Amino acid sequence: MSLFSVLSIGASGMASQRARAELLTENLANAETTRTPEGGPYRRKDVVFASTEVGSPFASVFSGELESAGGVAVAGVVTDTRDPERRYLPGHPDADAEGYVAFPRVNPAEDMVDLMGAARGYEANVAAISAVKDMIARSLDLLR
Amino acid sequence: MLDRVAGQLERYMDLLSARQKLVASNIANLDTPGYRTRDVDFQSEFQSAAGLNPEVVEVTGLPVKNDGNNVNLDRESRLLAENALRFQVASSLMRAQIHTVESAINGGGQS
Repeated sequence: MSLFSVLSIGASGMASQRARAELLTENLANAETTRTPEGGPYRRKDVVFASTEVGSPFASVFSGELESAGGVAVAGVVTDTRDPERRYLPGHPDADAEGYVAFPRVNPAEDMVDLMGAARGYEANVAAISAVKDMIARSLDLLR
Repeated sequence: MLDRVAGQLERYMDLLSARQKLVASNIANLDTPGYRTRDVDFQSEFQSAAGLNPEVVEVTGLPVKNDGNNVNLDRESRLLAENALRFQVASSLMRAQIHTVESAINGGGQS
């Protein structure tokens, strides 16, 4: 029954949007971070989504067919390559010889807007799952 | 009697499931760059009633965003609700059909 695979599709959407929200929150939290393990200031990160085939191994083996509709997955994380923002802070311990400190180029407005998009996307996937759950429950009612 | 009507209802519910799956897939790919909205041609698929697997088509006429994605959340939400309601109607009708046969088996009296 294909309805059960719809749950996996919705779940893939929820997982991907949550991963995106995590990265966006990380960006906001590190908006002023000047030290990272890689050295230099923090760099803004974002996700790249790609559509995938989903479906449980059981279902695909059982029905012997390739599912035509796909879910979504995080294909990769991209790091911002823009030059860091230089602020003149001679007293700062991370200041260079000229007294400038490299700060991450994180725009809180940009991240907040993306975060709202991620939250809305998550909600939409939850709505899809609950609608399908209702349909499955209706089908099961036929047995009673 | 049960065969014909129930067969049609089964086909209808199958198509609704297939469509709901595509809607869920569209919603999941709301932010996937280059993804195009997919759907089934409900009327023609229902009338053809040939194969079990409906043909998936790309929806045309939707505004495309800068990243090449053309998923419209309003459209998908509407279809999500519509499909769920249609499915509800179909399953109620199916239940009524089953009930009819059940009462015939029980002799119509007690059930």
